[in-house]
Amino acid sequence: MKYFGGCDVGSTYTKCVILDENGKMVANVTNRSKINPVASAEIALNDAIAQVEGLNSAKELTYLIGTGYGRNKVPFADENISEISCHAMGVHVTNPEVKAIIDIGGQDVKGISIDTDGTVKNFAMNDKCAAGTGRFYEAMANAFEMSLPEFSKLSLNAKNTIPITAQCTVFAESEVISLVGEGKPMDEIAAGIQLAVAKRCFVMAKKAGATDSITLTGGCAKNDGLKKAIEKVLKINVVELSTDPQLMGALGAAEYARQKGLAKEN
Amino acid sequence: MKDLKHLYEFENFLQEANNELVKKAKDEGGIALGYTCYHIPEVLLNCGNCFSVRLRAPRTGSMDIATYYMSNFLCGYSKAILERAIEGGYNFLNAVLASETCSEMNRSLEHFELLDLVPNDKFFVTFLDAPFKIQEHTVKHYVNQTRIKILDMLRDVYGVDTSDEALLKAVEEHNEVCRLMTEIGNYRKEENPRITGYEYHILNLVTYCCPKSLILPKLRETAEELKTREPDAKKNYRAKIVVVGSEMDDPDFTALIEDSGALVVADRYCFGSMPGREEIIINNDEDVLTQICRHYLKTSQCPRFMSHEKVQERRDFVQKLVKEYNADGVMYEQIKFCEYWGYERALASYVMTNDYGIPTAAVDRQYTASASGQLRTRVQAFVESLEIKKIAKEREAKKNG
Repeated sequence: MKYFGGCDVGSTYTKCVILDENGKMVANVTNRSKINPVASAEIALNDAIAQVEGLNSAKELTYLIGTGYGRNKVPFADENISEISCHAMGVHVTNPEVKAIIDIGGQDVKGISIDTDGTVKNFAMNDKCAAGTGRFYEAMANAFEMSLPEFSKLSLNAKNTIPITAQCTVFAESEVISLVGEGKPMDEIAAGIQLAVAKRCFVMAKKAGATDSITLTGGCAKNDGLKKAIEKVLKINVVELSTDPQLMGALGAAEYARQKGLAKEN
Repeated sequence: MKDLKHLYEFENFLQEANNELVKKAKDEGGIALGYTCYHIPEVLLNCGNCFSVRLRAPRTGSMDIATYYMSNFLCGYSKAILERAIEGGYNFLNAVLASETCSEMNRSLEHFELLDLVPNDKFFVTFLDAPFKIQEHTVKHYVNQTRIKILDMLRDVYGVDTSDEALLKAVEEHNEVCRLMTEIGNYRKEENPRITGYEYHILNLVTYCCPKSLILPKLRETAEELKTREPDAKKNYRAKIVVVGSEMDDPDFTALIEDSGALVVADRYCFGSMPGREEIIINNDEDVLTQICRHYLKTSQCPRFMSHEKVQERRDFVQKLVKEYNADGVMYEQIKFCEYWGYERALASYVMTNDYGIPTAAVDRQYTASASGQLRTRVQAFVESLEIKKIAKEREAKKNG
């Protein structure tokens, strides 16, 4: 059996997926990224390889593709592909019906529309600051003295939404602390935060050409409060994926590796 | 490919505005004239003993002082120029010739006077009023402005020879630069070009930033060298693109694009060669200055011309470049807060994709692009989508016989 790897070295998490020649996922790993992207990739690859019987090292993969911000630091990679193309392919192989993605990663937000073959049709990207990204959520959860999973559910039962005026992560954190200090309900403040991020996603999704339904990828896709806010703001259906949405970049890279590896062998 | 003999030297000339050749020209009694816009006819700044230096601010770091004087929400190029002037980077200049083309640069250059930035008693800044439309009476106005604000000032303050003979001599020298750059630029139409976009960008920038008479010998030598240069047998790019947009004097931006898998084959941006490096053809039917001014107005592709036909003309021009240079797509770049390119980029990126069927990406960027991982991701994704579309097209063509 031949195996194909995709390694997504993100700013916050490093993900690795291994597919067999039929496209079946045989291993997946999600690790917190280290400061050194080479080390992050190496650890994730080794962890994934350990899950596959008969596979002993990254060198034994028929084809390996790196993606994410550290994509050119993946040891033994045959090539690297941008995370935009990989997320599109990852979602396409998971659910070919989905035609648009909002990918909220650790340091940027992207809107991506997908062509019928899984390639990128169009994309838009917020790349100027951390507002509305995973880092933003970490700062907000920190301000609430909560874990990320706890914070992501906080807004679900809010009766009102307190708008957050600051978009900047630093200013928003101060604003949130002031609101908490004023005794405002925490769930309503959280709803305001989710709304602010959803608005940012709205712009990206619309710029990329999203129409009737979207899916969320990246670590923030697991944020239930955001999902609810996006449905409210975008007024379009948020499709749940059958595979962990945080793995979409690595899965897309592995699928590209499978297609390219098989084509090379033939 | 074998390295171009003068490339390293050219790169060094671009490390600062007051480079070795500028210093040499000054030592020989030259009058250094700074400018920032296509609407200041470059050739006029090269008559007599003058030489033009299109202003750049390489290795720009913090722009705190310029931001204090101008505000956050202004074009980075305008602020970088002011910051560099405050740092003393343009102290070698004898004058700055400005145009009221955009209010942001106008404000930046006003500060040269307001803050008395250049320690030279004779130093002056003039602002000419460039027209928004190209009609006979606006050409006349523009000619009048260039005469009063540029030629007469140079004659009166520095005793520069601004006669028709001096202008014709400047045109002749300018045309030689243009002929060489066109000859070199034509290699970019080849199936596997013998020159990269980065190399061309460097060559073109030195023609703007160095005295013409001193750069010409090296340019001639480079053109000669290119005649026999062999491209690498294996192509080093996955897609060819045309870069279109606002002020761009950062060769690292082109390097970033090319590191991401594209090859830049045509440059339609301010400080590029299209327009900028077209010969000025002079006839005997009207006076020399009018013909020069008419040339600059006619060839300008600046989005400050907002009439429907000029907007259309600019899009058609980009389409023409895509065809001529066998490009796979277009990248519209806009320096953040550019008052004209903001509109042009937003509309054109949609229209070029949907009406012209040309894959187009749009990026807004800071004045200097270096170390931008996000920009690299964006460019790489665009290149990948172009490559995949190209492969699909070839597959389709094969299928249809």
